[in-house]
Amino acid sequence: MQLFIEQLINGCALGSLYAMFAVGFGLVFATLGILNAAHGTYASWAAIAALYATEQMGLPFPLALLAGVIAGGVLALVVDQIGFQPLRGRGAGMMGALITSIAFWIILDSLAGLATGQQSLSFPPGTTPSRMLHLGPILLPGIQLVSIGAMLLVTLGMHMLMRHTRFGSAMRAVGWNGTAAALGGVNPRMVVVATAFLAGATSGLAGVLAGVATQNVSFALGQGLMLKGFAAVVVGGYDDVRGAAVAGVSLGVLEVMSAQYLSSSLRDGITYVLLLGFLLLRPRGLFGRAAFVRA
Amino acid sequence: MSGKLGAVLAVMALLAPAGAALAAEPGDYNIGFVTENTGPIAFAGLSYWHGAQLAAEEISASGYIGKGAKLGLVDKESGSDPARAIQALRGVIADRTVIATSCCILSPVAGSLKPIAISSKIPLVIFGATAPGLPQAPFVQSMTILPGPKDVATAKRAAEVTKPKTAAYFVAADNDAFKARMAAAQRELEAMGVKTAAVVSVLSADTDFTAAATQAMGVKPDMVLVYATQTPAVGIVTALRARDFGGTIVGNDVLSPDPVFKKLGPASKDVMFPISFSASMVKSDAGKAFVAAYRKSFNADPDIYSAQGYAVAYFIAQGLKSIPGKPTREGLAEALSKITVLEHDVYGGERIVEGQAETADTLIVSWSPEGKLAPWPSAQ
Amino acid sequence: MEALADFWAAYQSTLGFVVVNAFFALSAYAALSTGVLSFATVAYAAFGGFIGAQLVLQTGIDPLLALPAAGLAGAGLAYAVGLLFLRLEGHWMALASLALVLITRVVVLNAATLTGGVNGLSVPYEVSLGALVVLLLIAMFAFHRLSVSWYGIASRAVREDPAVAASLGMVPRRVQTIAFVISGAVGGIGGMLLALTLQFLAPDTFFINIAFTMIAAVVLGGSYHWVGAVIGAAVFTALPVVMQALVPAIQDVANGAALLLIMIFVPRGLFDPRALALRRTPVAKAAGGPHA
Repeated sequence: MQLFIEQLINGCALGSLYAMFAVGFGLVFATLGILNAAHGTYASWAAIAALYATEQMGLPFPLALLAGVIAGGVLALVVDQIGFQPLRGRGAGMMGALITSIAFWIILDSLAGLATGQQSLSFPPGTTPSRMLHLGPILLPGIQLVSIGAMLLVTLGMHMLMRHTRFGSAMRAVGWNGTAAALGGVNPRMVVVATAFLAGATSGLAGVLAGVATQNVSFALGQGLMLKGFAAVVVGGYDDVRGAAVAGVSLGVLEVMSAQYLSSSLRDGITYVLLLGFLLLRPRGLFGRAAFVRA
Repeated sequence: MSGKLGAVLAVMALLAPAGAALAAEPGDYNIGFVTENTGPIAFAGLSYWHGAQLAAEEISASGYIGKGAKLGLVDKESGSDPARAIQALRGVIADRTVIATSCCILSPVAGSLKPIAISSKIPLVIFGATAPGLPQAPFVQSMTILPGPKDVATAKRAAEVTKPKTAAYFVAADNDAFKARMAAAQRELEAMGVKTAAVVSVLSADTDFTAAATQAMGVKPDMVLVYATQTPAVGIVTALRARDFGGTIVGNDVLSPDPVFKKLGPASKDVMFPISFSASMVKSDAGKAFVAAYRKSFNADPDIYSAQGYAVAYFIAQGLKSIPGKPTREGLAEALSKITVLEHDVYGGERIVEGQAETADTLIVSWSPEGKLAPWPSAQ
Repeated sequence: MEALADFWAAYQSTLGFVVVNAFFALSAYAALSTGVLSFATVAYAAFGGFIGAQLVLQTGIDPLLALPAAGLAGAGLAYAVGLLFLRLEGHWMALASLALVLITRVVVLNAATLTGGVNGLSVPYEVSLGALVVLLLIAMFAFHRLSVSWYGIASRAVREDPAVAASLGMVPRRVQTIAFVISGAVGGIGGMLLALTLQFLAPDTFFINIAFTMIAAVVLGGSYHWVGAVIGAAVFTALPVVMQALVPAIQDVANGAALLLIMIFVPRGLFDPRALALRRTPVAKAAGGPHA
């Protein structure tokens, strides 16, 4: 029983990272219509920025976390304005944006490799919430609590933003039809900029926490999050934040539980088969709205 | 007086041509090096490259190959990608100053490059791939010290000293070499009566090992053995210690470079592994000189990878030295395939058996609290 | 003359990879020409590649004779994929095909008898550069004939506006299925050619790299004509090699930067039939000068 609970918590913490990443990735896909291959690099760079803030500037963990989050957001903003903005005027569509994102992925990944000296770095001991809490016989790493908490905050916050504020409505309107939204009084440029920043910031948060949890800050950090986050977006439905979050956490739990109780070598296979199953049987995901093609 | 001087001069004159015969013609000889300095295993790739660079400098400066004969390195980056590696190898083969080539950490990449070297009739000396059976006379040799046999000896020793009743194994499920090593160690331990409590699979690209560690801890093993590449191995050890696993952890040579100690810190206690070379335990003069020179040039201690890269350059140089006059690629391949003992090595004795390098000793070590490698078990 | 021979020796393998990547790009183009963005070429290439390689390994026949088998394998898989996926809407189709790529790797890892599992599969047979070029020319000719046939017109119509095409009597689903089968055949052949060029198939050979390479090639070269796929493959394959020769210290960053610049300045691709046609219209001629 103890093992089951411990693994359940492990799964939830891991899934929280996937969920936060998926929220950002899905936001970009739903609102901006871009399948962003470079999204994982925002997470890697946020972790590197947080590490720099801790090691070189001696900032305490909450501030370093903030530094990482802002770094992720700013990076996403820069990529969007340099890479995707010129394409918007020319209607290159999803594919043009995909190639641009691949180009940025290559650039940012190699720069991250240079920045870390091709190594996997870790936070200096004592600078992060790495204490092990004891709930009776159950071990709970402190960072897992932080991850789960962060995920709940982010999901709740984004949901409130998207569904209950004017700005959220503006974001959804731009995602649906930018011209119509502009006619309705929305400034699409502002919405795009804000969306890009938010997406980068949430991925950055996932990246910093992943870097702390795994003690592994490197250019490979974003890659793993990317694939699982993508799966979470598909399973959860890309236009609903709650769906992405639930799917992310479920994927994390499923991964850990199938490794524990079924077979650890088929772990990824189970995730992807589930992914494919959803795509075939319920493409809009758990919570997505049925999309109708505009004639 | 002049008679004696004349006799001495005559003897010297006799010796001089013999000396000249054991040396290649003056000139620039290059090794085409397919580097892996970026990509997932760059930390190892850079070490191999630095080791080779140091050796090439020493060889050129000391005239080891012959007077006026210099050894250089022509590098092309492959990023551990087979397609890029193929193009890199063809690029260096096309360079007429390149007399031999060297490559590969990953065995699939080595598998792709072998046929090209053989059909282009140029020597290929492998610096890092650990798959057995790669060498193929006369063109393909390997300076990798194969880790497999030492793993079994290490596991046995650990079991003899700590006498565990149960053991848990971690293995990288997508790396065939590690799967085989784990299986061999497992057989040995089971024959000694150590029950297998669990086998936990991880993937080489994984970053989170809390769940895997929890899985292993759930069966309460007395000893844990880890068979995975560096990032997963370090992650597993960290996660196990964070969950209060106090028993012995048997690792492998990927845990030996200095940056690993920096990452593990206090978690490195009672983590033991076999290695073929250690900067802090080197005994031979050549080894000590190597450590000192490497420290001076690169501001860091050499690790097992640097030693292998260093051996590649000296191996090729030894082949060049034995060819009188102007060496050709095929001639060098013949010469290399005849070498059975490395003249200048840092291990305290390195043999070449059927094209594969071997050392006699296995050092079983663990990290001391100060960050130096010391024999295990440490004298109490 | 010697310099030319050296240059050729150094870069002949790059030309080989250009041909292989051109096959993948043509496969992606085949689906895209009917308006479907699909990464599933990776799966077709894996299936065709492993089956073709195993055929040669088990029976020892000439690799070129085994190529049709690889093509058929790819085409068969593509037909099945088409049945399952074509009813999905655009975005979902792309995501589903991407998921298929991920699943391909898991299948390759676990189907050890066919693929050699984690070991990989050694394929000690090669195909000459001349044969590769001839095969590509044959493929290009086939695509040319298709584009000027009924199928070509139908695919353009379906891509532009499926609803209108349907009202004109074409069945979009059928046209797209044909496109998938062509895509599968070309992809399967490409997979086997990759096996013969690398001479070793690892689990990572048929993975995200190929998916991104072929989409980048199609978009760079121009996704509105099959020539674009070939041009794009040439540019995308040659670019890293050029960067390695020019700026080896930052070759990866330079590669990405070059891609980015191309996308910013020529977003419709290097070969754009529409832009070329516009340049040839009488309006342009009249504005050109007194010779009109």
